[in-house]
Amino acid sequence: MSDEINLKEMLDEDIYELMNEDLYDGYAQEVVEEVYEMLARGHAPYDILSKGLIAGMDIVGDDFRDGILFVPEVLMAAKAMKAGMAILRPLLAETGAEKIGTMVVGTVKGDIHDIGKNLTAMMMEGAGFEVYDLGVNNSVDNFMTAIEMRKPDIIGMSALLTTTMPYMRVVIDALVEAGIRQDLIVLVGGAPLNDAFAKDIGADAYCRDAAIGVETAKRLMQQRREKSR
Amino acid sequence: MAGDGETLLAVAQRLGVDIESICGGRQTCAKCKVRIDEGDFPKHGVLSSASHLSEIGIKESDLLSQGNGSETGKFRLACAAAVHGDVLVYVPEESRAHKQTIRKVAGERAIDVEPAVRQVYVEVDAAQLGEHRGDWGRLQSALHLQCGLSDMQIDLTALRKLQPALRHGNWAITVTLWQDHEVIDVQPGYKEGVHGLAVDIGSTTVAAHLCDLRTGRLLATEATMNPQIAYGEDLMSRISYGMANSGGLAKMQKSIIDTLNTLATRAARQSGLTARDIHEAVIVGNTTMIHILLGINPQELGSAPFALAIREAIDLKARELDVRLHPGAYVHVLPAEAGHVGADNVAVLLAEEPYRQEKTTLIVDVGTNAEIVLGNRERLYSASSPTGPAFEGAQITFGMRAAPGAIERVRIDPMTWEARFRVIGEERWSDQWPTANGEEPSQHLAAGICGSGIIEVVAELFMAGIISGDGRFNASRPHPRLVQQGKTTAYILAYEAETAGGQPILIAQDDIRSVQLAKAALYSGIKLLMKRSSIERVERIILAGAFGSYIDPKHAMILGLIPDCNLEQVVAVGNAAGDGARIALLNRYKRVEAQQQARDVTYIETAADPDFQDEFVSALHIPHISDGFPFLEKALGKALPGRDENNEENKRMRRAERLRDRQRQKS
Repeated sequence: MSDEINLKEMLDEDIYELMNEDLYDGYAQEVVEEVYEMLARGHAPYDILSKGLIAGMDIVGDDFRDGILFVPEVLMAAKAMKAGMAILRPLLAETGAEKIGTMVVGTVKGDIHDIGKNLTAMMMEGAGFEVYDLGVNNSVDNFMTAIEMRKPDIIGMSALLTTTMPYMRVVIDALVEAGIRQDLIVLVGGAPLNDAFAKDIGADAYCRDAAIGVETAKRLMQQRREKSR
Repeated sequence: MAGDGETLLAVAQRLGVDIESICGGRQTCAKCKVRIDEGDFPKHGVLSSASHLSEIGIKESDLLSQGNGSETGKFRLACAAAVHGDVLVYVPEESRAHKQTIRKVAGERAIDVEPAVRQVYVEVDAAQLGEHRGDWGRLQSALHLQCGLSDMQIDLTALRKLQPALRHGNWAITVTLWQDHEVIDVQPGYKEGVHGLAVDIGSTTVAAHLCDLRTGRLLATEATMNPQIAYGEDLMSRISYGMANSGGLAKMQKSIIDTLNTLATRAARQSGLTARDIHEAVIVGNTTMIHILLGINPQELGSAPFALAIREAIDLKARELDVRLHPGAYVHVLPAEAGHVGADNVAVLLAEEPYRQEKTTLIVDVGTNAEIVLGNRERLYSASSPTGPAFEGAQITFGMRAAPGAIERVRIDPMTWEARFRVIGEERWSDQWPTANGEEPSQHLAAGICGSGIIEVVAELFMAGIISGDGRFNASRPHPRLVQQGKTTAYILAYEAETAGGQPILIAQDDIRSVQLAKAALYSGIKLLMKRSSIERVERIILAGAFGSYIDPKHAMILGLIPDCNLEQVVAVGNAAGDGARIALLNRYKRVEAQQQARDVTYIETAADPDFQDEFVSALHIPHISDGFPFLEKALGKALPGRDENNEENKRMRRAERLRDRQRQKS
């Protein structure tokens, strides 16, 4: 019984299915091979992205939200996704495919705990967003500069401590002050937060985990597109 | 060797034999009692006779007869007996100047009693016309001439008492000294009794130990809940409370000071004393507790870079804090190591002395914020790890604090997947609980599961193969104890008949996840310290803190809470921080040592370390994605399950199998 898989002999739909599963299991090298195979068969980079990678990450997101998958598995899947994206990104830029959205994300001033934020950034990328990660310990100025440079649709802020989460309000107040609050979707997350806090500081939503972050981002982007039509 | 007519005390002091003397050889304190052994002692080359000493005077005779149990005639006061010939002298334990006291914990260790507060008896020149020194000047001269003390200061409250004390005592007084530098009390005549309080301020519990500073004896221990819990369960919420509420800091400070006063009063009363008899307090606690105690806003500790107001030790008058002890009493606060490694951890260092050990020692204090120390006498590293409250029962569906009815021990049969457990307050395991009428029913039914039980149940589920190394429930086999909860599975640990609430106690998938997060925070912290210090193997593990005493080392290792180590080298030491506070109270040189160790230990900020995420994610696996556990496997007599899950070959096989399954489904 051979355990070798020969991609050349497989149907297109089977390869997409295999890509979804390999992504789920975090097999980066295999995902890369499958992406190359589909490109060789003449598939559009955008199709490979949506049918192979994003569809796979959607399953990962669902199972993470439902408690079936955990942080290490999601990180492995996101790494596999990243490996596939590395091939597709330059091609997508050439074809000028429509972007799903752009996000600037970082932990707020005083907070250096970033695993949750990293997971969110990776899953947002997995969902097709363009993500600019500002890293940890970001002042209002850091956020404002990044907004000016990247023109994001979404601002994501994370805090793990009850003592650092009040700084999110400082950032949002600065957005209001600058008159750009209504142009942005503001998502907040982190262990000590809740819906009431998010509402109180004037964020658009609190996201309990990375999977819900992706869901919420997609939903709010959809609403925005509908409104602007 | 003795000059003719020299006293035994003088000879002993000259020869370096420490005999206690508070009164300085004035036949007043009777602390220098020694036994004279008569006869021929060829080994020592002496023919010893009591007649070779001066006659016993009236004053000495009175003092000797006051002592109970000492056979008069054989005993002398070393300060009174002048030597005129050979004598063999035995200095009994209670007359030795450098006393030792024993810590009642694993590996009992002696503490040398060298307190910061001591008393001396001095005779001061009487004031007379034509001589213009003040009484304090006269006392200074006496202290200099009789005790060799210079550059002395005097507390204002003692100064106010000085003139009447000198006159009532007929120019003889007992002086209470702090650090041989300041007079904190004067009493007429000869008096004795110096006491100290060692206090450990925990976020949850505050404990105070009252000690006799002359003998080192522990007189009383009193403990109570930290009333600041009302302002927030954990440190960060207390810091937030101080930030968000005006007067919040003052409220929290007052509540802890009130508690210290209550504990001091209660401990003193237990020993027939009052709080005014306490001359010094040594206080340890985490950095937030110490900031609040001192009335310093702990705001900066709430966010990076976690700057301390002060890292060094502090001495201040108790009255400055409204801590009501002796009017001249001091409070000594031990130093801290870093923003979130405080005086309590320095106290643990004093108690365990890893800096004197040859073996590479890991000290872990498990709490909501775990403190880790790693190293040996060559180098020492420390870190703090935010484990969160999972091991205190929070974030666990049926979690509870360690109280009667809490499941504290769990065993799961690897073949049948059946569970038995033990609850706090009931000796018998649950499978021994009677079901038939007439038998003694269980004292307590299961009410929930506490920290040690949580560690054991996850370790046992893993060993039985009910969950795999990634923490997921293994759906390979249906079982009555496995129930579906939405898209995940849960394990029934206790059936409804075994519980107080009448509903089954379940371990849910989310509970396993919470435990994985908590244990990974600790394990990855330990691994980062090992990495940064190039230490590959831990030779000894010390579990400090109250919780540490209840953790079963084997289960903690299976879970991957602590790294592999010879299980015989894993010990629990109980409240080491409280012991360390007592050591610093009883021995002032240990305070110098504490200051030096606090400065020398290399603190590592784990959350900011570039390798933290990788280490954390690897440690989420049970027990760890790649680390070997040879000692543990040897102790278990078998390999840990699923250790080859992640090798490449298995991956390829699983992938091929998956594909075949799918094609089979399609055809």
